Amino acid sequence: MRNLYRLLPVLMLALAVSSCQTQPQSDAVEATTGTIGVTLLTMTHPFFQNLAAGLEEAAGEHNMAVTVNSAEFDVARQRNQIADFIVQGVDAIVMSPADSKAIVTAIQEANEAGIPVFTADIAALADGVEIVTHIATDNYSGGRLAAEAVLEIAEEAAEIAIIDHPEVESVIQRTKGFHDVINEANTNGKAIEVVAQLPGGGIKDRAFRVAEDILQAHPNLDVIFAINDDTALGAVAAIEKAGKSGTVQVVGFDGTAEARRAILEGKIYADVIQHPHQIGIMTVESIVSYMNGDDLPPEQLIPATLYRQADAAADPILQEEAASE
Amino acid sequence: MSLSKLLSDYGMLIVLILLCVFYSITTLDEQNPRGVDAAEQVTQMILDGYNTQDRIVVVSKSNPEHVLFANTLLEELESSGYQNVEHIEGEPPEVRSAFEQFDSLGVRADAVAIPQDYSTIIGNIKNRIPVMSQAQIVAPRSYRWPTFLLANNLRNVANQIVVIAIIAVGMTMVIITAGIDLSVGSLIAFSAVVAAWIIREMGGADATLGVMVLASVIAILMCGLVGFASGITITKFKVPPFIATLAVMLVASGFAYIISKGESIYEIPDSYVWLGRGADLFSIPNAVVLMVIIYVLAHILMTRTTLGRYIYAVGGNPEAARLSGIRVNLVLLFVYTMCGIMAGLGGIVQASQLKSGAPTYGLLYELYVIAAVVVGGTSLQGGEGKISGTLIGAFIIAVIQNGMNLTGVESYTQKVVLGFVILLAVLLDMLKKRSWGGKKKTVAAG
Repeated sequence: MRNLYRLLPVLMLALAVSSCQTQPQSDAVEATTGTIGVTLLTMTHPFFQNLAAGLEEAAGEHNMAVTVNSAEFDVARQRNQIADFIVQGVDAIVMSPADSKAIVTAIQEANEAGIPVFTADIAALADGVEIVTHIATDNYSGGRLAAEAVLEIAEEAAEIAIIDHPEVESVIQRTKGFHDVINEANTNGKAIEVVAQLPGGGIKDRAFRVAEDILQAHPNLDVIFAINDDTALGAVAAIEKAGKSGTVQVVGFDGTAEARRAILEGKIYADVIQHPHQIGIMTVESIVSYMNGDDLPPEQLIPATLYRQADAAADPILQEEAASE
Repeated sequence: MSLSKLLSDYGMLIVLILLCVFYSITTLDEQNPRGVDAAEQVTQMILDGYNTQDRIVVVSKSNPEHVLFANTLLEELESSGYQNVEHIEGEPPEVRSAFEQFDSLGVRADAVAIPQDYSTIIGNIKNRIPVMSQAQIVAPRSYRWPTFLLANNLRNVANQIVVIAIIAVGMTMVIITAGIDLSVGSLIAFSAVVAAWIIREMGGADATLGVMVLASVIAILMCGLVGFASGITITKFKVPPFIATLAVMLVASGFAYIISKGESIYEIPDSYVWLGRGADLFSIPNAVVLMVIIYVLAHILMTRTTLGRYIYAVGGNPEAARLSGIRVNLVLLFVYTMCGIMAGLGGIVQASQLKSGAPTYGLLYELYVIAAVVVGGTSLQGGEGKISGTLIGAFIIAVIQNGMNLTGVESYTQKVVLGFVILLAVLLDMLKKRSWGGKKKTVAAG
């Protein structure tokens, strides 16, 4: 009996932990010019962490409040988060859909509530939804850049593999651009064969296992194109384990800090780097323009760039790290 | 004595109420009147401040709430004799170009009547257009009320937990028999994918109502069959439930990926969202009505029928149950089949809410379902538990998640808090038994 009374304050304490950090936020809301509700695909990925940082930074400059939620790949959870944003009456919703198609009903609900929806990095692919603008990396040309990096390594004939993640639209664009360049090269006399294209889920441990299988099955493999950096790092680990460092090269995508270090050390040949921070800033700027009544194009693409060992050697981020160590 | 009984019987209900009070206080915020209310308030403000010759511009977006506001306001102003009323409907760029047109024509406005949630944006735009800068913004006054207690939000809370709550009914029965079913999360995906696939193959976006019902029923029955298969493995081959359903979890998830080829199936008629998004009865969501019906039926089954008593008996002491003539295996087969059917139904609700079926649905939902059951006071050692407790458990989880979303707590912290709540519920249960369990079985029974 008495124990029960003692436990209730503990519960309230646990809840207080969750509320104390929000108190200043809700006070701040009144002084700002708007609130932005954000739900991203995941926050366990450096890409989205950088994107969120860009959003928060730019929102701070424009005196707006941001709430960043993460769907962690669960589209139903993302739908709930959007429903909660609608109830809160946020001024804009920014999302990276966990499923480009299943998110439709949630976007429609936001449309019905008159809240403008912006998509960042991942587009919503369906009719009957109104998206103010989509801000993303130009993944197709990014995929082309990756293939050009592969062509730098490959000789006249080469065996290459792709570790894929075909559930995600941006990755489909990357592999499409990649295949287009390889096919163009083959019609121009090269003999580059894609011997394997397997899904690695975009995460390190699964990519590691898939890469191991690919290395087993294709002993003459020359290059692996990994559709993101976690996949690339998983592939590097498998190559090191198989004792094939140097004989099998990796081309990655994203440009996370860990991958940049691997490029500096020569473990990854090159990365197509995206600029997620830039995407975040651009998104907030689009929201501000929307609120000013400016017209916005339906899609705004931010170009990707190639990043090789020489770039890593000159990278201020890596030099800072080296200096602090 | 009666107070302690009250606490032991209604402990988690009290926690739920405390949670609601807590979030009502912390989400107290400015709310905007909407639709007709907003229009009536604005009408009054215009009647008080402007004469019938003044030029009033009504601005709204094209979503239903704003349209309702604008139409009501226009009607009221017309019937009050205002002749100079104009309506601009659209997104900010359209409003801006309309204002710019006023500017080029040199027509000024006296008031811009607008819903509260659009007033900041339009105020910004207006102030940059010389001819409009004199016009006053007339918007309904906001009032203070907890966001948590808005009717829309309460509907949200119920809607967000429906899938987990429905499956928790089946899980409660399984856990009362001292079993566990880990396959329910995968069965959500399996059911959603099977139903969506059948609909796509039989007409796609033009499929008839009959096809949609048939597809859903087939998907639910297939999940029931999967549950039955788990039951057979557990009863005939004596495989522990944890292992048997773990295997089924992987198989069902694998099939969901195979059938859908790893992508979401979305070629489904718009009317399929009736169950997940419709609200026909007193604007209570249809899925919530379905959930309530299921809870009532399950409550009757568990408290008023022989089968219900058998389920408790099997969980309490299977050997004693067998000796007293209960066909233990049949009871177990029933609960696992039922759990499969409930998971299938949960999958259909999910597919309906999202108007598509994808193999990624239901990830880790088995854990939330088990959490709802345990927080609701059902003992993992079997023999004890209540369907009504499970509903409370599900709502505790829903309120915490919703409340944390509303107060802007990030996802990581949400997990920590949820974990602590589950732990607390179990501790509370243990303490309850230690204080009053003298006459009954002690905690060490398991």
